[in-house]
This record gives sequence, structure tokens and C-alpha cells, in this order.
Amino acid sequence: METTPKIEFLGLTFDVTVMIGTLVTAILVLIIVLLTSRGRNLRPKGAQNFFEMVVEFIQGVTNMMLDSKRAAKYVGFAVTIFLFVFIGNELGVILMITAHATGPMPSLGLTKDVLDAADNSVSWFKSPTSDINVTVAMAGAIFFFSHFMGIRKSPRDYLNHYVQPYFWMLPLHLIDELAKPVTHAARLWANIFAGEVLIIILREGMWYLTGIPLIAWIGFSLFVGAIQAYIFTVLAMVYISQKIADEH
Amino acid sequence: MDLAVLAGGIMIAFGALAAGIGNGILFSRYLEGIARQPEARGTLFGQGMITLGLVEALPIISIAFGLLVLFGIIGG
Repeated sequence: METTPKIEFLGLTFDVTVMIGTLVTAILVLIIVLLTSRGRNLRPKGAQNFFEMVVEFIQGVTNMMLDSKRAAKYVGFAVTIFLFVFIGNELGVILMITAHATGPMPSLGLTKDVLDAADNSVSWFKSPTSDINVTVAMAGAIFFFSHFMGIRKSPRDYLNHYVQPYFWMLPLHLIDELAKPVTHAARLWANIFAGEVLIIILREGMWYLTGIPLIAWIGFSLFVGAIQAYIFTVLAMVYISQKIADEH
Repeated sequence: MDLAVLAGGIMIAFGALAAGIGNGILFSRYLEGIARQPEARGTLFGQGMITLGLVEALPIISIAFGLLVLFGIIGG
């Protein structure tokens, strides 16, 4: 199993690989969005056409959950989540950089013991979403955002929802609310992490593993990355819409 | 034998078992739906793929933790 360079700062451990991955993904999303929205035309063509397709696709998701007036406010948020997760997922499959360490680098946390345990292989680029801290941060942000929107809409409705339809159902509601961010984060992380670990195992395996099985698994990983990005966005909108939906 | 290897193996095996059962039920119903209403294939495929992602989540979480245990990153 390969290791990653880490920096100790203010008593916290920062993973350099995850920071590089997040930064590259964010910059790539920014470049794609800037390039495709440059020189907008009423009659779209080429890149603009493609990007309008992406936005309309996400508009379909938000319209499914919310009424069209409120959905328009959340399209930008949903497109941001979708593009970041999608590009992060696919980047890790296409561009996985593992270096062979020749000597220990104590400033990056790569001491001799750590390198020996990891067979001298150091990962320098992988999916930001294959690190659980990133997905927990994203799911946590969505969790707090949805509750904030629920409280802002109507504090009474928000509190009342916990004791519906009977008061003794309060523990069930609490478990439900806590399970949402946990499964939301773990679903994305586990899919991408398991995919990358299997790519590493196949890549470093025997000759009969590195051929067709590796190509097939990489293809499947691209597919899983797209599906999981979509599901992450859909679930984010479901959790938000549950909190701000009107009673019916 | 190292118990972590056994534990990781069991977690991966049950993850695969659960995913197999879940996907089997999902796609058998998908095929039944197509057989009954062949023109609904397009919408059913999209919905089926979303459900596939939801069904696969818990088995794959179990497999990811199994891999972590197997490589001795947690619970060694």
C-alpha cells in the first residue's frame, strides 16, 4: 500500500497529495467553466453547447426535487458540486501518479519506517474524493447548510418535524439525520477508494492482471465515477429539499 | 495466520455477496419491466443506474473498510 507525504502544522496533519488533488481539480473546473462560458451566444455552438447541456442536466435534478422558482436558486450550487466531484473522480482514474522514493524526506513525514512499510512507493496525485476527509467535509457542509436553511425557513416547522407523527419517534428522526451525512460521505469515498486500490493491486500484480482486467476495471471506474458524482449531487439536493419543502 | 487478513477477507466477501443479491434483485426487476413495457427501456435504464449506485453503496463501504483492514491501515 502506497503512502502519502504529510505536513505537520499547528498540531494538525495535512496530506499534501490531497491538497494537490483538490487544488488541481478546482483549477481544472474553473478553467473548463471559464472557457466554455466565454463569448456566450444566443445560438450556442461547440463548447457552450456542451456546457449548457451539463447545466440543463443538473437543472433536471433540481426541478425534480423543488418547485421551479426555488430550484433556480440551487442550480449553481448543484452544478458546482457535480463538476468538482465528477472531475475529481475521473482525474484520479486517468492521472494517478506514484513515485518511487529513493531516500527518506523527514520534512514531508516520509521517514524510513513509513517508506519501508509502503515499499518505497509514494503517491503524489490521486482523486481528492478518495480521501475520506474531503468527502466528510463536503457532506458535512451540505448537512449544516440544509439544517440552516430549514431553521431559517421556519424554526417551528423544523422542530416540529422531529416529533412527527408521534413524540416517541424522536430517536428515530435523530438517527436518520445523523446517518445522512455519514452515508453521504462514505458512499462517495468508498466507491472511489475501492476503485483506486484495485487499480493499484492490478497494476502491480502479475502479467495476467495488468492486461485486460486492468483495462476493464479502469473503464468500470470511469463509469462508477460518473454515477457517483450524479448520485452525490442528487442526494445533496434531496437532503436540502427535505428541509425546505412546503408541508403538504 | 494474521487475523487482520481473515477479517478483511470476510468483509470483502460479505460485501460482494450483498452487492450480488442487491444487484440481482434490481436487474431482474429491470428486465421484467422491459419485458412488460419495451418502450420504457430508456427511462428504466436511467432510474436503474441511479438505484444501482444507491444499492452498491453499503457493500462498497464494507469492501473499502475491508481493504483498509487488509492492508493494516486501521484496526491492526
